[in-house]
Amino acid sequence: MSDKTTTPREITFRVRRFDPETDSVPHWDEYRLNITDGMTVLEALHALKATQEPTLAWRSSCRMGVCGSCGMFINHLPQLACQTQVLHLGTDVVTVAPLPNYDNVKDLVPNLEPLIEKHAAIKPFIIHSNSKEIDEPTGEFLQTPDEREAISQFTHCIKCGLCLAACPTVATDPLFLGPQALAQAYRYTADNRDCGLQERLEAVDIFHGPYQCHLAGACSQACPKGVDPAFGIQLLKRTLVLDSIGFGKKKSSVAKVSPLAPSGVVKAIEEFAPPPRTVGQ
Amino acid sequence: MRETRLWSLHLLVIPIIIVLLGLHLAVMHYAPVFYGMSVEKAREFGAMIERGKSVAQFVLYILLLAAALYHGLYGLRGIIRELPLTPTLAKAVDVSIIGLGLFIFAFGTYVTWWTFSFKFGG
Repeated sequence: MSDKTTTPREITFRVRRFDPETDSVPHWDEYRLNITDGMTVLEALHALKATQEPTLAWRSSCRMGVCGSCGMFINHLPQLACQTQVLHLGTDVVTVAPLPNYDNVKDLVPNLEPLIEKHAAIKPFIIHSNSKEIDEPTGEFLQTPDEREAISQFTHCIKCGLCLAACPTVATDPLFLGPQALAQAYRYTADNRDCGLQERLEAVDIFHGPYQCHLAGACSQACPKGVDPAFGIQLLKRTLVLDSIGFGKKKSSVAKVSPLAPSGVVKAIEEFAPPPRTVGQ
Repeated sequence: MRETRLWSLHLLVIPIIIVLLGLHLAVMHYAPVFYGMSVEKAREFGAMIERGKSVAQFVLYILLLAAALYHGLYGLRGIIRELPLTPTLAKAVDVSIIGLGLFIFAFGTYVTWWTFSFKFGG
């Protein structure tokens, strides 16, 4: 309650502007705005656009840290604008720029194509050894809680691209696959339902792959979802090395249960069945 | 598995270099301790050549040369290849590094062999 009643504080926003149709190089514009407690950078940008600068461009969607669209370079750190509260930054001047390590489309809009291309290159989907089973499944692919836990954090990636913006290797080597794609390569390779390591090798086991990681760890610090891509890259290295010397996990036969489940499984499912309905029986 | 194998080998040679470098230090720099000779004597050219005539030392230096060259040149390749190169240039860097490595290895082997077979006064 008291948060909402605090006196607004005037903050100066230094925003990097660039319009490819009129500018040859980017420039900085300054705007002043009264900020109340709890106001995010994204809300501040909306207020600026509504009251001062209608041509200001950025990309955003969900406003709650799920879609990963509003990644920006806020006070020299890659952050999601919708998750960054202005007053929490603790400065009277807030700089907002497009994400580094990407081309600039306009104002605060980065060109995320490299992120998408690298992500697609590692085949980010379950590859099963029996394609017929995928097209005409005869049962379910089972995954134990432990098997799920092993890949859990890497499934939280929202493809916001902050990790690539933070990565010093991407800054010097644009061909480096980057923390996002490499961590996802591990996420799918480590999935017990996946048999696609050999298919991913062509994209992953290259000079610009996991061995180019400089272990800076900036990707893990930048990730707004708490994923540790730097750790994922190290796990991927281990997977590749073990596979190269013949000690990789054999996953040719994927555990599955027939639609006609054994009685034990049926009993287990019944034990966790929801309680009987109390209304409308 | 090409890059994985190159990288694994790059790490694998580290302990080999540590052991061989330790032996090199023992033979060359700590000769007074391990060979029981005076410091002045150990530093003499003739004494060094004499120690280099052992087959074990010949093998040691060839292995150390190969391991250190591989480790160093793989690292050098990593630094150069991180530059924004075209695929053709990247390939040229790889070939040049291999060529440089083979040349230095051949030259180092020649020098080691020369030391091994050196005859005083002849």
